[in-house]
Amino acid sequence: MNGFVAALKAELYVTLRSTSARLVLFLPAIIVTVRAIVVKLSETGQEARDALLGQGATTTSNNAWGPLVDSFSTGLTLLSLSLVAYAAWTFANDRDTGALRHVLIRRVSRMGLVLAKLLTVFLLALATLGLMSAAIGIITAMLWDFGPVVEDGYELISSAEIRTEVALGLRLAIIPLPAALAFGLLVSVLAQSATQAVTSALGITLAMDIFKGVLGERAYYLYASFQPSLIDQSYLQDVSRLVRGYSDVMIDNRVLQLNEWVPFPEALMFIVLALLIVRRKTL
Amino acid sequence: MSRAEIQPDAPLRVTQLCKRYGDFEVLKQLNLEVEPGAVHGLVGLNGSGKTTTLECLLGMQAFQSGEVKLLGLNPDQLHKSHGGIVSIFDSPSLHPHLTVRQVLEHASLLCERVVRRPEEVEALLGIGRYSNFRIRTLSLGNRRRASIAQALLGSPRFVILDEPFNGLDAGGVDDMLALIGKLNREEGTSFLLSSHQLPYLEKICSHLSILHKGQIVVSDRVEHLFSAQQSRLQVYCDDVVRACAIVQDIRGVTIEDNSATGILTLQLDNVAPALVNQRLVEKGIMVDELVRERASLTSLFHDITARDPVAEVVS
Repeated sequence: MNGFVAALKAELYVTLRSTSARLVLFLPAIIVTVRAIVVKLSETGQEARDALLGQGATTTSNNAWGPLVDSFSTGLTLLSLSLVAYAAWTFANDRDTGALRHVLIRRVSRMGLVLAKLLTVFLLALATLGLMSAAIGIITAMLWDFGPVVEDGYELISSAEIRTEVALGLRLAIIPLPAALAFGLLVSVLAQSATQAVTSALGITLAMDIFKGVLGERAYYLYASFQPSLIDQSYLQDVSRLVRGYSDVMIDNRVLQLNEWVPFPEALMFIVLALLIVRRKTL
Repeated sequence: MSRAEIQPDAPLRVTQLCKRYGDFEVLKQLNLEVEPGAVHGLVGLNGSGKTTTLECLLGMQAFQSGEVKLLGLNPDQLHKSHGGIVSIFDSPSLHPHLTVRQVLEHASLLCERVVRRPEEVEALLGIGRYSNFRIRTLSLGNRRRASIAQALLGSPRFVILDEPFNGLDAGGVDDMLALIGKLNREEGTSFLLSSHQLPYLEKICSHLSILHKGQIVVSDRVEHLFSAQQSRLQVYCDDVVRACAIVQDIRGVTIEDNSATGILTLQLDNVAPALVNQRLVEKGIMVDELVRERASLTSLFHDITARDPVAEVVS
């Protein structure tokens, strides 16, 4: 246990001083902020054009919930891809530089080191998520107004209902993240070099994104199906439409349950595989 | 397991180690032992299996059969040595984005017992002025110094160095030799040095093993290896002809040359030069100077690696 704690401290020391980790930490927050500003500028431009053309009424809503959910969707896509790449890079890169050897000979077992790396990536993911959420909250509050969905003077969905749905959407979108990170680390342990690890992890993640559409019902047994992604099937996508007042959103409770339960055994399986493989791996 | 619980044992004991890559047998029943307090050199040609041997010892590679014990621990248990074993590899294995000081602070986190502060080891290795330089900006020699510096934060009992003199300038090599000698004398640290730099190994090693074609073909104390070799002795004296007659009766002495140069040159086979001197002085010969030309490690290495290793395993 002492070895694991020492490894965790050492990992955090290196991560806090790593440019790659800083990039992973700040990039999603920066991108979602820039995206929100661009969307607002685009909306403002549209309103100005409509006013100039004498169309009078504004064509865009000033409700913040839509842009907030879209920002989370974009941010979580970016966050999961960058963290999978980081998880894949971290172990393989230390093996490439040889830094891994010092740690293993001095005080830490191979399994302890893999777990310390995984926990460090989880902590980085939490920090990135926290920073990104804060950035999204601040920028959407500055550019739009939070309120209920109103149409023709009638309140279709109250703010409290929206908050509940957004919270559920975010929770379901975050649940697959540990499995994605564990998958990245598994690829890192398996790969022969850091470059191979990163390209393989990202390649397979994107391939899962492509294939989940053709897998039909079977795709619901894949953690990646519930992640916000480039070809998004996550519940957050439905929430985005819901908070804009679309009433045709069909929520399948079975899918929501699978979303809640499928990623955990898969994450555990990836971790166990990584621990088994690292025991015999040439380092 | 605490440090006290670790069995007092040879720093390294390798028995019948076999390692194959597919059908290619890299290590063939390799045996090697490093005695406590020894500075043991491991030499071999390129491809002889030195690096593979070290990687197997340190648990970085699996091997097919045999037994390896470092301070009584298996290779996959080295972390239980509590910093008793450290290794410095051929390529300085450090995080390139960290500064020298950060590398040492990072290594301190992994040390169970820090006996030297980072600034102390920086001063000891002469890299204090590079303290805030990132590792990737340093020369190979200074990276190697930083790598060694992190190994000195704790109090290792056994240090494994792979090509420790690579990338070091003449002053750096002297510093390195002095440091190894100091740690060995003052703290009883045992060393296993793998190197191609035979003259440096000759200066520092108490024991030597020659790895050739996957086997240890020679392993012994350095003085024993040299004493097994014939050495030449030049005798400067007042009467070469009489001296020649005296020494020819000494067993193990062969007269090589007593020509017009006025220098008596002898081949000694397990004969101490002091004995030759004593006989000459007893017979009234005035000896001005004795010059011993000892067999070098380089010549010994070349002699051994030129032979068939399978037929001539010495120990």
